[in-house]
Amino acid sequence: MADSSDLTNAVVIERTFDAPVETIWQMWTDPTHFAGWYGPPGASIPDEKMEVRVGGTRLVCMVVETPNGPMRMWFTGEYREVVTNQRLVYTDSMSDEHGNVLSPSEMGMPDTHPTTTEVIVELDEIDGHTRMVMTHVGIPAGSPGAMGWTMAFDKLGIYLETHRA
Amino acid sequence: MTLTAEDDRLDQTFAALANSTRRAILARLAQGEANVNELAEPFDLTLPAISKHLKVLEHAGLIVRGQRAQCRPCSLDATRLGEVSSWAEQYRPIWEARFDRMDNYIKQLQPRRKTGKQNG
Repeated sequence: MADSSDLTNAVVIERTFDAPVETIWQMWTDPTHFAGWYGPPGASIPDEKMEVRVGGTRLVCMVVETPNGPMRMWFTGEYREVVTNQRLVYTDSMSDEHGNVLSPSEMGMPDTHPTTTEVIVELDEIDGHTRMVMTHVGIPAGSPGAMGWTMAFDKLGIYLETHRA
Repeated sequence: MTLTAEDDRLDQTFAALANSTRRAILARLAQGEANVNELAEPFDLTLPAISKHLKVLEHAGLIVRGQRAQCRPCSLDATRLGEVSSWAEQYRPIWEARFDRMDNYIKQLQPRRKTGKQNG
């Protein structure tokens, strides 16, 4: 299962925004606001369903312009922790429009990419500013390929820990 | 110990990884050691072709091969892989760019505060 403490296979980004914590919370949990920043330039997010409660599902559609015309991609997941203005945890996987999870290789992604990842957002207000720590971590998936890589990276994590000390 | 030597080594590692067959071989080896025949099984490739891929991986330090003459089982060497960023590092610039946009988006919203709930 998810082991968020294994940071060898995670991105951790800390940012401070000149905005109150309620605003940053909305950026993540209000579909309109989420669509306002999440997609890359040239992409649009025409459809998003976000049931922001523990166990609630999310289904986000992103349209990216390609030389062959617009390409639709869907991402699904589940909210695992929802503590308003403090902490948000959700899973993220590529899926079809019905929220059926697709493996990264089906989507032409490298097989180093885990099928399901988890995004952890922690917020903290300091003098009207908001300190945000975002952690994006890969979690073990069912497909043998992804599992193989996960195990390789687990071994790697242990190796790196013992050799850095 | 120089940066250049390290860079050269990384170049070699990335060159070895820049091939889907070789990545698939590594993924297979992450599950345990295997010999050439076993590694060739899922691919529509000749044994010499697989051997060539294995040589590239071995040269890049990504795998080690046993000394038993006939089967020479291959296994993963996690050391060199550790120098290559995980999938997660590819996501760092994506998130950094997203948060730049979040910052800009918030700045656009702020002059007309409390209008944020409109339809987009």
